[in-house]
Amino acid sequence: MADVQASTPVIDARDLTKVYEGAGAETTALRGVSLAVEPGEFTAIMGPSGSGKSTLMHILGCLDTPTTGTYALSGQDVSTLDDYELAEMRRTTVGFVFQAFNLLPRATVMRNVVMPMLYTRVPHDERDDRAASALRAVGLEETLWTHRSNELSGGQMQRVAIARSLVNDPSLVLADEPTGNLDTATGDSVMDLFSRLNDEGRTIVLITHEPDIAAKTRRVVRLHDGLVAEDALTADAHVRQYGAGAVPAHVADAPGPSAAPALTADPAGDV
Amino acid sequence: MRFSDLIAETLHSLTSNKVRSGLTILGIVVGIASVIAMVAIGQGSQAAIEQSIQAAGSNLLTVSPSAAGQQGPGARSFGASVESLTREDAEALADLSLVTGVAPSAQGQAQLVAPETNANAQVLGVTPSYAAVRGLTVSSGAFISERDDAANAQVVVLGATLAEDLFGEGVDPVGERIRSGNMLLTVVGVLEEKGTSGFTNVDASAIIPLSTAARYVTGSEYLSSITLTVADEDQMDAAEASVEGLLLQRHGIADADYADFSIMNMADLMETVSTVTGTFTTLLAGIAGISLLVGGIGIMNMMLTTVTERTREIGLRKAIGADSAAISAQFLAESVTLTLVGGALGIVAGWGIGVAAANLLGATAIITIDSVLLAVGVCAVIGIVFGYYPARRAASLSPIEALRYQ
Repeated sequence: MADVQASTPVIDARDLTKVYEGAGAETTALRGVSLAVEPGEFTAIMGPSGSGKSTLMHILGCLDTPTTGTYALSGQDVSTLDDYELAEMRRTTVGFVFQAFNLLPRATVMRNVVMPMLYTRVPHDERDDRAASALRAVGLEETLWTHRSNELSGGQMQRVAIARSLVNDPSLVLADEPTGNLDTATGDSVMDLFSRLNDEGRTIVLITHEPDIAAKTRRVVRLHDGLVAEDALTADAHVRQYGAGAVPAHVADAPGPSAAPALTADPAGDV
Repeated sequence: MRFSDLIAETLHSLTSNKVRSGLTILGIVVGIASVIAMVAIGQGSQAAIEQSIQAAGSNLLTVSPSAAGQQGPGARSFGASVESLTREDAEALADLSLVTGVAPSAQGQAQLVAPETNANAQVLGVTPSYAAVRGLTVSSGAFISERDDAANAQVVVLGATLAEDLFGEGVDPVGERIRSGNMLLTVVGVLEEKGTSGFTNVDASAIIPLSTAARYVTGSEYLSSITLTVADEDQMDAAEASVEGLLLQRHGIADADYADFSIMNMADLMETVSTVTGTFTTLLAGIAGISLLVGGIGIMNMMLTTVTERTREIGLRKAIGADSAAISAQFLAESVTLTLVGGALGIVAGWGIGVAAANLLGATAIITIDSVLLAVGVCAVIGIVFGYYPARRAASLSPIEALRYQ
């Protein structure tokens, strides 16, 4: 678990840039992002669409490599790895949770959770035990384990997906809008689960544009136009004000509740 | 990825779309079954033809008279239209070291009148050695004897079907008499049924002493053929050369191109027939192979559809740590499994079709280990060849793009 590398940052990214070569045009998604995440942190990455948060997540998750800059994941520099080495990192060091859950619909819950271990050297007889303990950790009732995943509710599916992300005991759990497809109550319970996993020592980075969700984390990193616009403890950050929609350029250096009325004024004021 | 996991994943994904997998397998089943069936029928017919030649005796040389200067397959003439071979020739050939048996014969056609019915049949004038050379045995009575031949005896040995035609089934005609022209022939024997072999259907022939035939049927001392047996099949060519040399010398012909006889070598004939039937079998298998190709394209089509449909799954597998090789192996395993299952069913189906069709055609189907192994090999190759492209395509998908795919 995380305490093995207690002294090493889980994420140590410096001056990451990413330029996509499109048809004729170049798109710059990241302009120089630096980010360090210590073991045991619970971080939300926020930002409007186009801010580069998906690109950052892909790089952090070893799905992609930066154009320039260095990225060390658990002390291992991954910015120059080839496809096979990146796959190895994803297999051993990162656990992914997706907005759309991405379970195999016809496969049982157990089969879905066992799947990441197919690509590792975990012995056969150990797999079911590890899957079972991951499913217990996310609080999914044992009666559901043999159900096909498309028979579950959204909240149950996301629990299965989180269990799947945990079975290879990653040093980083990366969640891309994990509550985006869930109703508020279910989303809250999934966030409670993440909080509990974090209390148990898991390092979690999640992407969201919902301020309510970000409010449940301990640290907020806000991206804007491919740059880090704000990096603060959740208690100090402008979560409520700028969670959704475009962030005005001045916000980054304007602490305090100055822009707060903008969100609440219209409906409440008129009634 | 472990092999057992690969198999488990493969079976899981193939069984989750049973109808499509089934139809794809069917394409391979049809292809393999037709190849197996065609080869089985082809090889069965080949064996049947070879067996028929073998029954006639593959160690036989047949010398026939032929017009001088016209030797060769196209100009060969059977029957007595050219008169060049004599009993003395035959007796001289018997002294050659490689020759173990000599059977001179004269052939004609005659109307045979039995008490109840009559028939037009081939009449063969032969010496007693004919039975040994052609491998004939009597089911009743005896064959022509030396004494019969020496005495121009009016006796006849009937072929099995001719005996039946003249006297009816189950009747032993030995001792009965047959009239033919101004001969009154006493039946002394009936031959065991031999089946059509070579070029003479002995079953439908009446066999009389050579001297009797010369006097009453052909009206000449000349022979229509001399059949020789050679001790060893490997020495057919040497025997043929010595026979040719001796006859040229006896007939006073210097140039073999002007020989007044031709020699047919059964070993050569056998070889020719084998080549022809072998080509025929290959042709049949080739045509059947086209359906196998179509089956293979069916697999590729299905695998490409599958890769497209499962783009998100591929993205997910990559995100949780599968590398390109693992993805590639998974899709390749699926296509190879489809072809191997199809191949196994195809072998069974082809076996059944081959046996049924052979029964219908009155032949036997021969399924050799070779053709089964070939089918299995071809299946594996098809699975790999037609699975390779879709598998590469799946493996080369970017996980980011694949995860976004709707």
